[in-house]
Amino acid sequence: MDDAEAIKRCQQGEREAFRHLVERYQKRAVAHARAILFSRSDAEDAVQESFIDAFKAIGTFDTSRTFYEWFYVLLRNRCYKMTARRRPTESLDEALLLTAQPGMSAETTLGLEKALHSLTCEEREIVCLKYFDGLSYDELATHLQIPRGTVMSRLFNARRRLQRKLSGLREQEV
Amino acid sequence: MKELTCEDVLMAQMAAADGEENEEQLGAHIAGCANCQHELKQLQTLDHLLAGHAFSESNLDLWPAVEKGIAKRSALSWRPFALIGLLLVVHKLLEMLPAQDLGMMFKLVPLVIVALLFVFIKENPFRINTELVLER
Repeated sequence: MDDAEAIKRCQQGEREAFRHLVERYQKRAVAHARAILFSRSDAEDAVQESFIDAFKAIGTFDTSRTFYEWFYVLLRNRCYKMTARRRPTESLDEALLLTAQPGMSAETTLGLEKALHSLTCEEREIVCLKYFDGLSYDELATHLQIPRGTVMSRLFNARRRLQRKLSGLREQEV
Repeated sequence: MKELTCEDVLMAQMAAADGEENEEQLGAHIAGCANCQHELKQLQTLDHLLAGHAFSESNLDLWPAVEKGIAKRSALSWRPFALIGLLLVVHKLLEMLPAQDLGMMFKLVPLVIVALLFVFIKENPFRINTELVLER
């Protein structure tokens, strides 16, 4: 079953057809939610609730967009609402967001995670979408609903802050 | 023409490294700017570091919880509204009783009922934003 057929069946009230969409996109969605929230349990809650929202609103699905593009808006809005409600002192889980390719040490990955954690949600989101999802600047502009020039500057500032944070962490270790 | 700052050049250089911009004309600035050379090298190291990582994957099956949630919301969807309807009908009937002055508080009851429902559901139940608009 492809997405279009699953969506059509969902619009006719067939709940089981929605399973196809959940199973196809859940991992990607949780990774994106974790990039914003930096917490596995919060990310899973956000994705779960967003899928429920999506099923409820499937009648308004815009066929000019892909399912995930449409769903990402719901997910992103829910994640940002959760970040607004979250208390600053709340501890974040220690489950790693990232996995290293061969040749990268565990310490390097941990340092990168710490540095990513120090970024704002928006900066972390753009870095993750660029590097771990491989989105182009135009795709980032569509996903984040910002002009291409803003993509360029936000990504640059995020990289710069990330680099400085990493340098700071390395100096602390020495 | 506006003179390029180090930041402009570095931003464009990184975009060029991403394959998104043309790096012509930037080389001259970088060749003569030690600060840019240093920072560019650091940013390229970061680029390499990020490229060496991916999202970690875990076993995940959200469908049972999503299915349960959909069923729960479907069950929830009509009951509060039916209850509100009933309360409002009772309120209206009481209001229609002749020679009864139930006071200002009584008139505010419908508003209070609707406000309580919104608090109970914790968000506006009538609106799911599916447009490309970031809510804050």
